[in-house]
Amino acid sequence: MRVLWLRLGLLAALLAVWEVAGRAANPLLAVPPSAVLPALRDLLLLRSYPELPASLWLTLREIGAAYMLAVAAGLGCGFMLGMHRLVGRVWGPMLAALYAVPAVVWYPSLMLFFGLEAASKIAFGFLLGFFPITLAVLAGVRQVNPQLVTVAHAYGAGAVTVFRRVMLPSMLFTLVGGLRTGLALCVIGVIVGEILGSKAGIGTLINHAYGLLRTADYVALVLVTLVLVVGSDVLASLLERRAQRWTE
Amino acid sequence: MTAARGELIAIEGVTKRYLTSSGPVEALHDVSLSVGEGDFCTLIGPSGCGKSTLLGMLGGLVAPDEGRLLVDGQPVTTPDPRRVATVFQDAGLFPWRTALQNVEFGLELQGVPAARRRRTASELLGPLGLSGFAEKYPRELSGGMKQRVAIGRALAIDAKILLMDEPFGALDEQTRVLMGEWLLDIWRRTLKTVIFVTHSLHEALFLSTRVAVMTARPGRIKSMLELSMEYPRSMESPEMAALRAKLWSEIREESLRAMR
Amino acid sequence: MQVRVLQLVTVLAALVSWEVVARAGWVDPLFVPAPSAVARALLRIGGTAFAGLGDTLGKTAVAYALSVTLGVSAGVVVGSVRLLRDVMSPYVIALYGIPKILVLPWIVLLLGYGTTPAVVYGALHGLFPIMVLVMGAVRDVDRTLVTVARSFGATTWQLYWKVLLPAIVPSVLAGMRLGIMFCLLGVLVVEMFAGVRGMGYVMGSLANGFQAPELFAATGLVSAASIAIVLALDHLNDKLSHWRG
Repeated sequence: MRVLWLRLGLLAALLAVWEVAGRAANPLLAVPPSAVLPALRDLLLLRSYPELPASLWLTLREIGAAYMLAVAAGLGCGFMLGMHRLVGRVWGPMLAALYAVPAVVWYPSLMLFFGLEAASKIAFGFLLGFFPITLAVLAGVRQVNPQLVTVAHAYGAGAVTVFRRVMLPSMLFTLVGGLRTGLALCVIGVIVGEILGSKAGIGTLINHAYGLLRTADYVALVLVTLVLVVGSDVLASLLERRAQRWTE
Repeated sequence: MTAARGELIAIEGVTKRYLTSSGPVEALHDVSLSVGEGDFCTLIGPSGCGKSTLLGMLGGLVAPDEGRLLVDGQPVTTPDPRRVATVFQDAGLFPWRTALQNVEFGLELQGVPAARRRRTASELLGPLGLSGFAEKYPRELSGGMKQRVAIGRALAIDAKILLMDEPFGALDEQTRVLMGEWLLDIWRRTLKTVIFVTHSLHEALFLSTRVAVMTARPGRIKSMLELSMEYPRSMESPEMAALRAKLWSEIREESLRAMR
Repeated sequence: MQVRVLQLVTVLAALVSWEVVARAGWVDPLFVPAPSAVARALLRIGGTAFAGLGDTLGKTAVAYALSVTLGVSAGVVVGSVRLLRDVMSPYVIALYGIPKILVLPWIVLLLGYGTTPAVVYGALHGLFPIMVLVMGAVRDVDRTLVTVARSFGATTWQLYWKVLLPAIVPSVLAGMRLGIMFCLLGVLVVEMFAGVRGMGYVMGSLANGFQAPELFAATGLVSAASIAIVLALDHLNDKLSHWRG
């Protein structure tokens, strides 16, 4: 209880510092929270950026497309590497090494390939989401107790039954964790892509507000984007909890 | 034979309560015990009877709610490695230190120069049966070896009193018996005063000069048993069998209470 | 051994088939240049690319030093003081999770174009993963070890120096491995967004100029550098954590 109050107190103190500093600073560089609220109201009432719903919708569709591709490719790739021992041992470390490269190095190439439209954002979101999902599947497959598989085979279970009744339940926890991380990274990938160069979407609006030094609008747009980011993660965590209950 | 020697440890009317989510629980109730110099005093009793708490108080890690504990006539308030060394059930070795460095630990804290503490620790490794293992890390040692390193770490600081909290509790039966024989040998050579917590009747009867049977929670001293037989003891003698039966009947009663 | 050979074969096969596909004209060389063209491009832009890489790695090094120092010390302090940890950990985890790119425009607004925003943003990226890992490690230090040290009369200073810090070494190293990637990523993002020098800027300009072979060469160079750095850290990790087995 005390901890909760201290947490809120800390937040309030930070906001107060921001307010005081924001009032003292150059209004082009910093805005106090009290100035953000009207900007947020204007934004939500579609006064400052009437194209907000369309932009959000585009960004959401980009995220959706990127995530679907990442899940499909990640599951496919992960199971392929996980099921065949040799393939896994040869390509697994190579994949891990590629994962050590900061993904943003691929972004200029993606822009060159796919242009400034949605496709390059989808590709970048996909790239970010693909790795954690693949690696989670790989780790999950390794978690399956081979003894259980042997027992299931001994009781006459076929490959499909073994997969559904033995493998999937034992790896579900890791798998779902990977899917959650994958979604978070897809969201980040799309937003990063939009901010680094785009013609439409929420990132474009952020760049626009920043470019025109409409700092209050910029902060309001960032807050809206944060709702999107946090919302997607909350959704994923709800699904994660459901999956956990299902395994138990 | 114990009363003849001077009193080293005095526990006077000690009570300890813990706050749990379901309210306060009394772990120890009005415990008094006196231990003479050179004694091997064993505390035995059902799980949760506060044996470890009592040991923690003697080590200065836990403060009593009532009563007081005296070592050498002085009240225990904080850990005092000059007088008391503790061996824990989980060996508690530092995994990043070699066996030798683990034995050196207490001396290092006291600021003993490196060369001297190395010499002290090295000399201990022989009697510990760890001569070839000085440079091994804990993960490379067996359970029994780890526990011997932990005992060596306690012996190295050369405190008069050795507190041992189920030191062999995690070992298998055979290793346990051998470790008991080894500890007996060490104790008789170093003349330490030992307070030993165990669940094992065998250990209690084989090692101790005195055995204190504790009751189920809240822990109290139910009875004291003085053992005056010569070492090494034959566990098959009729006298021992009778003692064993007596001890077991007392502990059995308390363990049954604790299970309820 | 067999695995190494097969990995080499994989890379060679990929390069050869890529070369064949490009030469056969199945893909537009404007977008997908052949590996041989990329190699020639690397020679052409070698000077610029290496200068850019040096610039980027220099900023990354400063950012990294900042985020390791701050991340480890803040992680140890917050992790070892119960109240601080309870109050702060949700904020730290939230800051770790949210996309830092959202504050990038503001950082550039505040600090202008150049080296400073890149260092600050890179450090910001590296700080939180390190701090989160260290906090967790401090929280999870085996309580028995602390009790043992106390029973041997350890002072607070000795508890930190001889128990807590050695115990978290593996997590600090894991954090440092993660942190270097995040720092490099942060620096590259700033260079792409508002750079005047550095590899991110070079790559951004090459992409805008549709110079695919040069862009591929630059991308390969940065990737190779970051893989080399991570492998070096892995090696260091193995050496320093030998006691873990």
